[in-house]
Amino acid sequence: MSAPVAIVEARGVGKVYPMPAGPVEALRDVSLTVAPGEYVAISGPSGCGKSTLLHLLGCVDTPTAGSLLFEGHPVRAMGEEERSRIRLRRIGFVFQRFYLLPMLTAWENVELVQSEAGMPAAERRARTRELLEYVGLGERAGHRPSQLSGGEMQRVAIARALANRPGLLLADEPTGELDDETGEQIGDLFDRVNADGTALVIVTHNPALAARARRRLAMRSGRLAAPSVVAGS
Amino acid sequence: MIASLRRLFLVLALVASARAAGAAAGASDPPPDILVSRGLMRERGLSVGQIVMLSADARGAGARPFRIAGVYEPTPDPSRFTAKRLEARMHLPDLLGLTADPGEAGAVDAVGAINIGLKDPADAGAFARELAARAPAVSVVPTAAGGDEHFVIIERFHMAISVVTMIGSTAFLLALMVIRADERREIAGLLRLLGLRRRRILLQALLEGLCIATAGAVFGVMFAAATQGAVNAFFQWRYDTTLVFVRVTPAIAARCVALALPLGVMAGLLASWTLLRRPVLDLLRR
Repeated sequence: MSAPVAIVEARGVGKVYPMPAGPVEALRDVSLTVAPGEYVAISGPSGCGKSTLLHLLGCVDTPTAGSLLFEGHPVRAMGEEERSRIRLRRIGFVFQRFYLLPMLTAWENVELVQSEAGMPAAERRARTRELLEYVGLGERAGHRPSQLSGGEMQRVAIARALANRPGLLLADEPTGELDDETGEQIGDLFDRVNADGTALVIVTHNPALAARARRRLAMRSGRLAAPSVVAGS
Repeated sequence: MIASLRRLFLVLALVASARAAGAAAGASDPPPDILVSRGLMRERGLSVGQIVMLSADARGAGARPFRIAGVYEPTPDPSRFTAKRLEARMHLPDLLGLTADPGEAGAVDAVGAINIGLKDPADAGAFARELAARAPAVSVVPTAAGGDEHFVIIERFHMAISVVTMIGSTAFLLALMVIRADERREIAGLLRLLGLRRRRILLQALLEGLCIATAGAVFGVMFAAATQGAVNAFFQWRYDTTLVFVRVTPAIAARCVALALPLGVMAGLLASWTLLRRPVLDLLRR
């Protein structure tokens, strides 16, 4: 029996940004494989390339060196529209600043990406209701982001990230703007999401959140600095 | 028949007081009737029934008495709306008697030009041809051929102003749309990051531009319609004329909407496209 295809696989990936003062090497020779259902946390000082790596894994950007495969397909060969399609259907994003659309309600924020994916209206409604209840916000569906607390906004963002049943959820400092208690609740929610089968890659400075991951990686100066720490190993 | 002297700007010297004129008139037949323009009536403090002396000479030579039979409002002339309309209308023989050179034999019978109003202006060409055929020595020229000359000039003037205004407002609109689009840079970046296609975002920008342009055009037309009365009233008061300066007709309103909609939509699309061409991460970066 063959091994399942990795959700995302980076082999010797590098990223160089051309700058007026000279090129900046944000990532160097990074290799990382995320299998379906994995839970990975990446930590490291600011500017070490964590977010750049996350953007590459999420097909937001393309590497300037090495190869990156998403579900076995080379990302560099994909056009912008193809990468958009993958981001819409296969990847969920959660950010430190939540990035909810301020003019839409919680319900509409969750429904938007399903609509773009072409999900039928009845299925969309059922899925949105299910997700808002899943994150504990069934009663706040009609509220706009400005009427929600930070923790609630992050829950809506997680519901939106899960809307199209992605195989991979990427989170960039998801507890960065939350207090410890709310951060714990978000950590619990991530645990549930992962237990339900979604692979998670979380970039975080929060040791408590990183400790929840089964695999913890450290980055320094654009490289994966330490061998993976696997929980329970 | 009363000769219409709309274009005649005689120096009509009111050379004597009503009493003096009445005494002069009393000696012979009653003086002929004239109509006096509202402006002249007010300027000289005249009244209906009053006897006045009129002369075609600025010094008052050859003045004759006339009785004011009524007042009239001169037809507004857009090419002379700043001029005071101090005019009078009289019977053609009276005019000829007043203006003819007494030393010139037959001058009283001489008519240089005469304007004829037709019930249907469309008949002007046929009428001119028929008259020219019957009286070969008469030069017949339709005055309304291709529209009134003054209005043609004003139309062109308005067109030039419109073009300059349109170019200026389009540049302003585009700048506003670019600013507005840039204000939503982060939202556009987020939508792209979540996987929404450029086409979908552009379609949304198009619909939004359409709504804004429609609302703007409707507001503009309503504002113009609502304020045209005030604008007209002010300028009519300012220049003492009945000329209508602003009139928002359905055709003008339709033209405004027809121009505003594509311009608004194009400006919105252009602004959005310049934004969406940028990489996703550039859009999200603060």
